Amino acid sequence: MSESPFDIELDEMTLARARRGDLDVCETIYRKYRHPAFSVAFRICRSRETAEEVTQEAFITAFRKIRQFRGDSPFWGWLRRVVVNHAISTIRRNDKTKTVTFEDYHAPTAGGQQQTGLAMDLEAALGMLSAQDRAVVWLHDVEGYNHREIAEAFGKTESFSKTRLSRARARLRELLEAGQNTLRASH
Amino acid sequence: MNHRRNEPADPLNLRSLPPVTSEHDAWPAIRNTLLHQRRRSRAWRFGGAALATAATLVLALTLTVNAPVPDTVSPNGPGTDDLLVAESGREAQSLPLQEPSVESLIAMSRQLEARVRQSRYRVGDLPVRQLVYQVELQDLIVQVDEGLSRNPESIELWSQRVNLLMDVVALYENNLRRDYYRMASV
Repeated sequence: MSESPFDIELDEMTLARARRGDLDVCETIYRKYRHPAFSVAFRICRSRETAEEVTQEAFITAFRKIRQFRGDSPFWGWLRRVVVNHAISTIRRNDKTKTVTFEDYHAPTAGGQQQTGLAMDLEAALGMLSAQDRAVVWLHDVEGYNHREIAEAFGKTESFSKTRLSRARARLRELLEAGQNTLRASH
Repeated sequence: MNHRRNEPADPLNLRSLPPVTSEHDAWPAIRNTLLHQRRRSRAWRFGGAALATAATLVLALTLTVNAPVPDTVSPNGPGTDDLLVAESGREAQSLPLQEPSVESLIAMSRQLEARVRQSRYRVGDLPVRQLVYQVELQDLIVQVDEGLSRNPESIELWSQRVNLLMDVVALYENNLRRDYYRMASV
């Protein structure tokens, strides 16, 4: 079972109507998937503005090409691939990123300050990775992509994906450790 | 998913990070873009069919004008060739009233390709601006050909191919005409 936030089912009837170009249904699909789409675009692009553009472009592409979706895999997986491909093209075209602000994150549970602190550390560490390393580690560890799928998305070999993943994880560990040492020293 | 046996799928617990959301509603922009594209493609289809019909008319008239007209009627009455000519003339005149068939569009497409080859030979290299336009037209022809490889009987796609080839021919011939006038003014 997938744990991707994208994993939201879409019934065949809705899909059939979207294939016929029903804009009301397209809107329903957009509203259903806009948050996971934005989230994955943001994780890869690291900029709200860019992620919003990527999300918009990806949905336009998806609705234009929805007839090409053969239905042999879940719709959400196909849509996620469209979003990820747009996001990867964007970071390859323009590697500019914006600093992540605290307002971008919300503690998942009320009063989860410690958890928020940990999340902030991890977020900050993620923000310090190169765009490609961050995209690879996110796609692999969170979205469940395998190396072949990552290689395809980047137009590279599987060894590119393996090298990037291992480098990204090592760097994240280093950064988290350095952050914890600083915290200990301050107490 | 391929994960090494001794390594968890998410060793740094990245999944624990909260989802990031945006309040930006892109639907109006997405809707407008889709509607705009739909209108353009409809216009393109309509224009394509109209142009293909016009092209059929031009081709039919060309065939009629170029058809050999017998000087005298044979004492034995019209021969088989004369009958064929008369028949083809009648057929050609009635063609514009019909929807273009796939066969007629394929024939037109072949004729236009031959004309592009001849024009290319006569004109040589195009100036940069026209060259860019010509490359764009060729790209569109490649896209149409991809569609035709999946759906070889599509009148719509063959009409688009004919129209694009007519544009390429016009591009070369306008350039040739410009060169001719330039030479004439010298």
